Amino acid sequence: MSTPYTDVLSAVTRQRGVLGCILVSEADGIIVEANVQVGIEAGVAGALVASLYRRARLGTDAAGLATVGFLQLEAEQGHVCAVGRDGLVLATLAEPKAHIGLIRSAMLHAMEALP
Amino acid sequence: MRARVAEAWVEAPLQRFVDDARVQFALLLHPSGQVLGQFGFTRAVDVMAACALGAAIHASAGELGKELDGHPFRELYHAGRDRQVFIAEAPTARGALVLLTAFDAESSLGLVQVYFRELRDALRDAAPPPVESGPALDVNFEQDLNRSLAVLFGRAQSPAPGDAGAPRPPA
Repeated sequence: MSTPYTDVLSAVTRQRGVLGCILVSEADGIIVEANVQVGIEAGVAGALVASLYRRARLGTDAAGLATVGFLQLEAEQGHVCAVGRDGLVLATLAEPKAHIGLIRSAMLHAMEALP
Repeated sequence: MRARVAEAWVEAPLQRFVDDARVQFALLLHPSGQVLGQFGFTRAVDVMAACALGAAIHASAGELGKELDGHPFRELYHAGRDRQVFIAEAPTARGALVLLTAFDAESSLGLVQVYFRELRDALRDAAPPPVESGPALDVNFEQDLNRSLAVLFGRAQSPAPGDAGAPRPPA
């Protein structure tokens, strides 16, 4: 079933090395739409990344650095990237070898294209 | 702040849940309203009231779910202005338990759901074998209820797991 967000997420998941893309509500951590590989628990990842993004946003606000533009978390076996707008967070999970520059660009375009 | 429990086997799972989910209040109770563990409450009377209300809401929602959907609702969520309430059932070998938890903007529904699933699995694994129990509202119900509250607030010793004197689950 296609939703208004399906194409937006597809534009990100098409990038090489992307394991999944999740659109999640920042305030309640509930998934709006997800497109992830088998084995990834989208609900868990979405809730945790939304919480992380929210705290990062509050942290940069409190530090007087304005809003978070792009959040990247580097882990041993991959990357977690997140961007937010209007209470929504777009989170992308990617392999270690993924090209983060391209993913970042796709995510920022996707956020602009959100309905 | 530590979680206070009436039965030792629920302490570690409940403590982990409140630490991870960052909730303000948590109550673990039998569907009959008898408390097993609590976090965040300072007065026994508040625990008693929350248990009675939580058990009633859980029972009502279960029946409503059966009417509407053919089976009980598994989870209930209510968003207030500042705080949110989440109620869900965790089946164990000792019978079903009900978690009632309240949280603010420090946490989120998604996080609470995630950590509730971990709590549910941990309770299922930690539950001791079922003990023979009487009917839910037998002659010892009020005594068990008061004993649970006394243990939670340090007025009585916690019984050993499997102890016949431990608060009993409903039949």
